[in-house]
Amino acid sequence: MSVRPWQLVGFAAALWAAAAAAHHSFAVHFVADRLITVRGEVDEFTFRNPHGVLMLTAKNDAGVEQQWKIETNSPNILRRRGWTETSIRAGDVVKVEGYPARDGSNFMRVYRVTYDDGRELVGQRPDPSVVLGDD
Amino acid sequence: MGHAQPDLEGFWTPRIEQTQARSGQALIDELPDTAVLIDDTGAGELAEGDFAGLELTSAAIEEVRRYDFADELKSENTCNAPTAAFFMQAPFPMEVYQSDELVVFKMEYFDLVRVVHLDGRSHPPPTAPHSRSGHSVGRWEGGTLVVDTTHLTPGTFMNNGFNHSEALHMVERFRSSPDGNALWLVQTYEDPRVFDGVAARYMAWTRRSGEYVYPYDCDPSYGE
Repeated sequence: MSVRPWQLVGFAAALWAAAAAAHHSFAVHFVADRLITVRGEVDEFTFRNPHGVLMLTAKNDAGVEQQWKIETNSPNILRRRGWTETSIRAGDVVKVEGYPARDGSNFMRVYRVTYDDGRELVGQRPDPSVVLGDD
Repeated sequence: MGHAQPDLEGFWTPRIEQTQARSGQALIDELPDTAVLIDDTGAGELAEGDFAGLELTSAAIEEVRRYDFADELKSENTCNAPTAAFFMQAPFPMEVYQSDELVVFKMEYFDLVRVVHLDGRSHPPPTAPHSRSGHSVGRWEGGTLVVDTTHLTPGTFMNNGFNHSEALHMVERFRSSPDGNALWLVQTYEDPRVFDGVAARYMAWTRRSGEYVYPYDCDPSYGE
């Protein structure tokens, strides 16, 4: 079978396109300089890399229940700050502050989870570039 | 085991520094004036459309245009790890092992491992398999470990839809502080298929004793 020059060009382009979508960007998917707050009951909490996920049911301003998907930064980073698989349990009522999804969906990256008794779990800190030191 | 060269062995955790106060600035100062420094190390990331001032080729501009960020949230891409041209800067620790003939980096991020050969060997032919860690050969220039890497698979370059090609050539210069408690790295990249000139990144770590790299065990079920 003969191969024509345009076929080689197409083959090269196909190889290049092999750089598939990768692990997602925070900056592209979330608003880094704005925090929103939701309060509700935890439906499920998973704590596996690349992100822990907190499913939460909260009422909006009209009193309508909505389900939120709230991701944490990497559980490995959070373990070193004291988080574990059981830091949050289904049925817990919590306030979550986080960075909203750019697309306006009920999806956010957690900054802080606060319990009514004052207990706090800190996830991704605001403006990490100015929090100096080691992580 | 004793080393004639600096001892880089140990557990290293990323060091967050302000741009104006980089402890390893001397390595940056050694870059050619024309090098473009990509300032997205650690938790920082460049926004969509921000390529740090690099001049992208027309082919790369087209690839970026076609990139669909929604695909990043799918299960099949959740555990698609970047290459050494991006994973070294991630905000995760690493362990370094060193002998006269090898330096091994055990990264926490995606459980990746890099092997750097110091025995004088050459890179394999261009047709040899490519991987996320690529093929690395190194040498000591005084107290600086210089690592040359090729054979990287195409992958994330700026985590905003701009990927490098399989032709990327990376040179790294590792240097430790006089007290041995800080490790600095400047990576330089050339990839004429996707950008003109030379790009670079700076990274820094702090040595910690008694700690170790945790398993990452990426779970694709996070995705949709």
